[in-house]
Amino acid sequence: MSIAPAGLRCWFEAYLAAFNRADFPAFGAYYADDIDFHGQAAQLVGREAVLAFYHKVRSYLNERVELIGFVGAPDGNRIAAELHTTLLALRDWPDMPTGAMRAGDTRMRVSFAMYDIAGGHFTRIRTARFSPAERQAT
Amino acid sequence: MTAEDRFRAYIQAFNASDWDKLRDYYAPDVRLVIGNGTELNGRDAIIDFYGKVKSQTRRTIEIVQCFADGHTLAAEIESEFLAIEDAPDFAVRPMAKGDRYYLNSFVFYDFESTLYTRIRAATFRREFRPVAA
Repeated sequence: MSIAPAGLRCWFEAYLAAFNRADFPAFGAYYADDIDFHGQAAQLVGREAVLAFYHKVRSYLNERVELIGFVGAPDGNRIAAELHTTLLALRDWPDMPTGAMRAGDTRMRVSFAMYDIAGGHFTRIRTARFSPAERQAT
Repeated sequence: MTAEDRFRAYIQAFNASDWDKLRDYYAPDVRLVIGNGTELNGRDAIIDFYGKVKSQTRRTIEIVQCFADGHTLAAEIESEFLAIEDAPDFAVRPMAKGDRYYLNSFVFYDFESTLYTRIRAATFRREFRPVAA
């Protein structure tokens, strides 16, 4: 399956919607078996590793990602996205990879992300932080 | 000329330090924001900034990929900075003559017609290679 360039944005927005409602089967279906994942908190290989990582994250945090900017490649195989992420700590996470959070803390950041796509799946995701994290302690 | 072709020509002008040509790619009120907190407003501020960087280092940009959609072009670029003099106040980090610094960046270029109106860059990877290494 490949994604028609004209439908790329809708396809991607559905991914973010699934991610935001923590629908692991739905957003996990976007990942290739051997996805190469370079997030700011983890570098991982494989769908199962990425999902295990997000399971752990969700046990500590509520994470919401909003799409600010979207650029889809005409070939339908790449997406560049500007994302606004809000983290809300549900409980203390002193060892959080990007910095400790306490229950009730929120953290916001803007990131640029590059997605490579093949066969209807993300094969590589790479994110770069654009704005410093804004922290709000309760 | 496509947005991608125009971008390749823009980077070619940058690598050639052709400031007059480079200026033609920017809207008068262009805004450049780099994820490290640097924010520049207007053609002259950007040209002056690049001029200073290039007075201390030889910066070469290679386009890894670029693609446009609507009025925005997304690019992944690799920059190499080679210090041509000691530059203790270099924008990224102190550099000694001969040091090399590499940046892999994701950049969004908003454009109207043929002019860039807003440029925003975030660093994905960086690597410092000191001359003594």
